[in-house]
Amino acid sequence: MTPNMFYLLVSILFSLGLIGLVSRRNLFIVYMSVELMLSSVNLLLATFSKLLGSPDGSVIALLMIAVIAAEAALFLAMIIHLYRAKKSIDSDNFVKLKERTNHA
Amino acid sequence: MLELSIFVILALFMIGGSVAMITNKQTIFSAFGFLVAMIGLAGMFALLDSRFLALAQIMVSVGAIVVLSMLTILTINAKEESLPHEPHKYKWILVSTILVMPFTFLLYKTLSSFGQNFELTQSFTSKVIGKTLFTNWVLPFEIVSILLLAAMLGAIVIARKEEKEL
Amino acid sequence: MLSLIVILPFLSAFFMGVLYLSNTKKKNYAFYTLVGVGTPAISTIFSLIIMYDLISGAPTMHSTLFSWINIGEFNINVAFMADKLSGVMISFITFIGTLIHVYAAGYMKDDTGYGKFFTYFNLFMGSMLLLVLADNPIMMFVGWELVGLSSYLLIGFYHHDSKNISAANKAFILNRVGDFGFIIAISLLFVSLEGTAFTFASIKAHIYMINHDTLSLIGVLLFVGAMGKSAQIPLYVWLPDAMAGPTPVSALIHAATMVTAGVYMVARYSFLYELIPDVGIFIATIGAASALFAAIIASYQSDIKKILAYSTMSQLGYMFIAVGLGAYSSGIFHVFTHAFFKALLFMGAGAVIIALHHEQNIFKMGGLKKHLKLIYLTMFIATLAISGIPPFAGFFSKDAILVTAFASEHYIIWGVGTLTAGLTAFYMFRLLFTVFHAKTKESHSIQKVPLSMTYPLLVLALGSATAGFLGVNEAYGGNSWINNFLNLPDVKLHLSHSTEYLLGALNVILGLLGMGLAYKLFAQETQEPNQNTLLKQVIINKFYIDEIYLALIIKPLFLVSHFISKVIDPKIFDGTINLMVFTYMRLSLLFSSLQNAKVRYYALYVLVGVSAMSYYILFKLGEL
Repeated sequence: MTPNMFYLLVSILFSLGLIGLVSRRNLFIVYMSVELMLSSVNLLLATFSKLLGSPDGSVIALLMIAVIAAEAALFLAMIIHLYRAKKSIDSDNFVKLKERTNHA
Repeated sequence: MLELSIFVILALFMIGGSVAMITNKQTIFSAFGFLVAMIGLAGMFALLDSRFLALAQIMVSVGAIVVLSMLTILTINAKEESLPHEPHKYKWILVSTILVMPFTFLLYKTLSSFGQNFELTQSFTSKVIGKTLFTNWVLPFEIVSILLLAAMLGAIVIARKEEKEL
Repeated sequence: MLSLIVILPFLSAFFMGVLYLSNTKKKNYAFYTLVGVGTPAISTIFSLIIMYDLISGAPTMHSTLFSWINIGEFNINVAFMADKLSGVMISFITFIGTLIHVYAAGYMKDDTGYGKFFTYFNLFMGSMLLLVLADNPIMMFVGWELVGLSSYLLIGFYHHDSKNISAANKAFILNRVGDFGFIIAISLLFVSLEGTAFTFASIKAHIYMINHDTLSLIGVLLFVGAMGKSAQIPLYVWLPDAMAGPTPVSALIHAATMVTAGVYMVARYSFLYELIPDVGIFIATIGAASALFAAIIASYQSDIKKILAYSTMSQLGYMFIAVGLGAYSSGIFHVFTHAFFKALLFMGAGAVIIALHHEQNIFKMGGLKKHLKLIYLTMFIATLAISGIPPFAGFFSKDAILVTAFASEHYIIWGVGTLTAGLTAFYMFRLLFTVFHAKTKESHSIQKVPLSMTYPLLVLALGSATAGFLGVNEAYGGNSWINNFLNLPDVKLHLSHSTEYLLGALNVILGLLGMGLAYKLFAQETQEPNQNTLLKQVIINKFYIDEIYLALIIKPLFLVSHFISKVIDPKIFDGTINLMVFTYMRLSLLFSSLQNAKVRYYALYVLVGVSAMSYYILFKLGEL
């Protein structure tokens, strides 16, 4: 069990999160991909912690989990809000950026 | 040898769960995949001698986050036909995979330039973690708690129903 | 004072033009006449003063107005030079010019474009004087071009008839063809003489620097310009058409002054031409050919002005024979005498045309000697002069030319010239007898001719009679005053007096023969020549030269330009631009579709960037 295995796993997980973030239209999937990416970084932190023999890495990972929880709350709140506005969880429906403004 | 096989199994859990999460059409099934991945992650943490972290992971990530997600998904309760219609899902996934591969490779190469050997150390029990947390990392700890408070308030504000003028 | 001679006509043209443009309806008859005729008169006085100074022995006068171009070694000043050659030229140009201006005041008095006419006329005077008085080739070229422009404006004066516009275009375009050669010649001259100032005096001093072949080329190309301006073969076809302009225009421009610019140019460059006698023979040959050719055509023409136009071309041929064979003074002398009697002939013809309500066909005229006595007398004197009958002017100048040809052993040229002299007498008297003597079948109402038109005729008749005495050869008791005065590098020839008398007598006899033949054929009853033989048909149709040019030159040019405008321009040029436009549009549509406000796509673009960078770092920058 060498660190390289963990590094490989971290890379794969991060990339998978990235893929999911870019490919899917369903907002929940996007949210969970983001979580996946953050979690892979947590894994990396734990690996470093063991590598260096210091508990600092674990502590940071712990704090990261708290942050992830906060972010999860907000993300889900936003999804609910968007759903109330457009009755849809398709990210392609939220295109107000390209709507023309009325020239006053 | 034992560690290696446990690692492989847990890795398969994680990767399998992630792939399932990415590719599934139904939201709930994706959430299940995510759940499996998080549990695998907790196991990984344990494998890395961070026991407290593993527990915290299960409590927060699995217990709170996944449950919350499922609640939200069920609340929204999107019907089959109102789910996003993604005709080119696999094409997008393929393209993204190809694009991401150099990055993955780069990431791996960069990471592997760090240490190569695990030192035999203590395992990080709650005692060790607690000591470090409340001596070296007190300030970030406090800030994170404020962050959680803000997030709570923010979530309430964003998600509440509009009040009608009476 | 020298510069004023040139500036005044330009100024007056400017003011008259401004006044005319500000109100084209109002006829300020008095103003235009005063300014339009007065200005050339002032120039005449100045020119005669300068001429008097030059005769009294003053050296060449110079007058610089300002420095025009100043680029390194290329320095051109707007400057004038009056040496003896220019002095002689400006004297008769201004004098005869003023007379014709007076004539024109009468001729054009009922025309609504009276002011416009005098604007153009004065513009022409200024340009011609600029040409003659220029002190460097570039200023001469400016004058050369301006004269061509004035000619165009004046030929097309009756612009409502599109035939006149075509004639004006023809004149200008053929002039331009000649100018092409002229410009190349000037450029070659400049390039060969780099490092020296570019004035006539300086070129004359440095002419030895140029090798013989370049010199020959320059000489030929300069003459190409003269071919266009002075209506020699092959660029002569505009001159008969130019008769579409008002008669004063024909008198001044196409008889007395503009067309002689080519001869003046050769004389001005005499220091160049004396070094390349072969080119001179070429010039003389063209002159001889043009003289004979024009005389043949003139013998069968019916329009009074066209006969005179061909006659001009023929006499110009004589002048080129002279300057081609090196007798520069004789050429200029013939220019001088020719100006008098040709202007007179044209003005008389104009008077006849007005008198008969714009009839121009000589076979519809006749018996006018009773009604238009003064005009008849003056034209008779001019016809005698042009036929070379002594003691009138044409005899001395033409004789000098033919004697030169004989003495330099160019017998063919001499023969052609002598034959043409006989023909000249024939067709000119044909004109005179047909118009004034012959019994006509038609009766005419004679319109009164204004006095302003008849007085100049008198003055010119006097000139035609006496101008010849300026250049009498030694053989006849004179001292070739004008030859000595001009001091040009004439070729020196020796001929015994008896041979000279023989040649002179031969010319006179031929002239009288021509007169007699014309009398016999035309003084009684006349009819228009009909085209019953092939030879006659060819001659009457001017040897079909215009048609040949049309088929060989103009039509192919039209085809080429048609091809270019219909094929190359739309398909290749427009096609290329349209292709570019199309490409840009497609690209812009493509790029604008990338901005679709969907965040997912933007994340993809970020991923693309990240991927590219990773690729670059991994493979191009080597191992980390």
